[in-house]
Amino acid sequence: MRLLIVEDDCKVADFVARGLRAEGFAVDLAGDGREGRGYIDSYQYDLLILDLMLPLISGSELLRLVRRSNPTLPVLVLTARDATEDKVKHFEAGADDYLTKPFDFAELLVRVKSLLRRTPVERTDVILVSNLELNRLTHQVRRGGQNIELTSKEYALLEYLLSSPSRVFTRSMILEHVWDQSFEGVTNIVDVYVRHLRRKVDDPFPVKLIHTVRGVGYCVRETQQAAGPQVQ
Amino acid sequence: MNHRSLAFRLALWYTLLLGATFALVGMGMFYGLEQYLHSSLRDSLRRRSSQVEQILQQDQAVISSAQISDAISTRVSPEFNNRFVRVTRAPGTLIYRSGPPADRSFDPNAMPPIPGSWLDDTMGRRTVTLPNQRLMVNATRIDTPSGRYLIELGSSLQSIDGLQDRLLALLGLLLPVLVICAAGGGYLLVNWALRPVDRMSQTAEHMSMQNLDARLPVLPTGDALQRLSLSLNHMLGRLRDSVQISRRFLADASHELRTPLTVIKGELQEIVGGDAAQGEVRERIGSVLEEVARLEHLVSGLLALSRLDAGEAQREWLDVDLVELAASTAEQMRLIAEDRGIQLQFPHSAPMIVRGDQCRLKQVIVNLLDNAIRFTPRGGGVTLRTGDSGGDIVLEVLDTGMGIPPAALTRVFDRFYRVDEARSRDDGGAGLGLSIAQSICLAHGAQIEVHSEVGHGSCFRLRFPRPLANAARPARAPMPQMRS
Repeated sequence: MRLLIVEDDCKVADFVARGLRAEGFAVDLAGDGREGRGYIDSYQYDLLILDLMLPLISGSELLRLVRRSNPTLPVLVLTARDATEDKVKHFEAGADDYLTKPFDFAELLVRVKSLLRRTPVERTDVILVSNLELNRLTHQVRRGGQNIELTSKEYALLEYLLSSPSRVFTRSMILEHVWDQSFEGVTNIVDVYVRHLRRKVDDPFPVKLIHTVRGVGYCVRETQQAAGPQVQ
Repeated sequence: MNHRSLAFRLALWYTLLLGATFALVGMGMFYGLEQYLHSSLRDSLRRRSSQVEQILQQDQAVISSAQISDAISTRVSPEFNNRFVRVTRAPGTLIYRSGPPADRSFDPNAMPPIPGSWLDDTMGRRTVTLPNQRLMVNATRIDTPSGRYLIELGSSLQSIDGLQDRLLALLGLLLPVLVICAAGGGYLLVNWALRPVDRMSQTAEHMSMQNLDARLPVLPTGDALQRLSLSLNHMLGRLRDSVQISRRFLADASHELRTPLTVIKGELQEIVGGDAAQGEVRERIGSVLEEVARLEHLVSGLLALSRLDAGEAQREWLDVDLVELAASTAEQMRLIAEDRGIQLQFPHSAPMIVRGDQCRLKQVIVNLLDNAIRFTPRGGGVTLRTGDSGGDIVLEVLDTGMGIPPAALTRVFDRFYRVDEARSRDDGGAGLGLSIAQSICLAHGAQIEVHSEVGHGSCFRLRFPRPLANAARPARAPMPQMRS
């Protein structure tokens, strides 16, 4: 899988590229619109990550050019602007997805993978981590053969954390998926729910599965030692 | 009626001036007429008098009283002309006295006798007042061969006095009516002339930071009023420009902060997620990341505010059931409240529809609930209430918290304002939540108000105008687009 990142801020481009390379992607970097256009014309890419505010050729302009020559190339737009109308405008211009700075790399990775149609495919009905078992069809949660009663929000939270075991989910990702943007930053709602979830899922058992990554978020994994990079 | 108003004072001055003018003119008319009538009567009396003179002068010889009487009766015919004629010869012999006049305006016999001094000087003109009437009498002394005579010719002043009385009555009746009409008319006229100024002030009254694009009506009067409206409009233009500059600055600054934040966050998260950092270092980076999250929250709050200031697009506005929205939000927040030992109550009521952006409205409820929960001590209660008040749809968030001191009440919606610096900062509050709530309310044409009692709790109340049956969207949302 070969990706192109067109981003004029080299530090942003760097850490995104580093993270994606660690995930096994081949990544090219272009620092302005014209260079980006050159890369696109010369190579075959599976995905384009595009910043909107670019020198020489603006991101929106480049997006239009790309769509004319390559209508199927998935494009993930990065931008510092997140007004709803901007979003609509860029979706109309042909962006497939949209991420607002400052974004979490984990979130970017999820979007990239879903654009490349890699992750969501392996959707199983029963998720098993250690002795914790979650059934997506019946919404039943069991641990060590014991039924655990969860409220619908607690269930949604656990299901999300288990959707990709051992990956760290940031608070804003959790908020966005389990609640909505209204709660962003206003409250410690995620922490409260995780605490309640822990009380039911972890407290009665000697081995703890829900882990806190300070400053980042939460993840569910078997042991602390197995903590690899924050992304799976 | 406002006694200090410009209209009242102008009308008062105008009335006084007009009244004085009318009074002067009236007086002039009255006395001028009197002068004129008296002098013409005098002339007529003189003419008659000279006729009598001629009679007396005619015959050089001695003439008898009877002759004189005949002559005067036929040539002057005083009774017929309503004149009084009396001829006296020195030293006091009455030669002739006219009879009662045809109109019976006076009684010739009642005329007082002439004073004894008449031989020495001319008595000239005098006014004699008889019971019930006044007479003007012209006396002439002549010396003839037949002796010295005094001719008195008089006429009643009744008709002149009557005329003057009528004029006085007319003026006395007409002048006040005219002055009152003029005063009323003047007051209305001034009010009418000042109405554009009223309109200007009304328009200016409705101006706020949200609609600085509105302009005062320019009055095409070509005078000070037009200049005033024009210069006020220019001032508004400059005000709008400077407000726009500061808003753009806020928006730009927030945008510019996002890229470095992305890098800081990305790099630190990678370190925390990887094996490079362990133990203490990991904890510290985690702590920095928490601050980054706070900064991020702050930046997104500022951006939200700058977008609300700029007037967000309303195309996502829908009919929203406020009760249902409040219920679901309260449900989502219940655990947070319980976690802090606070009871969150929401008595359900019938659906109430407002028009707006559901996400934004939810944000308002979340912010208010979050605020209430944060400032209510363990064991307290927070109540979310919806209802109807005076035709408006009302949503209230009440708490049993520490309350807000009166001095701070007016400032709680200010950006970055904190009632209690230390406490809310520890809680992670950026001081933007209520400000954002207020901006969203303004954008929805709703009012937000706060009542509080220190030690007892606070009440934040949202007041939505009830949507009209066929309300067109722009009419219900007076929020002009400010993007330029």
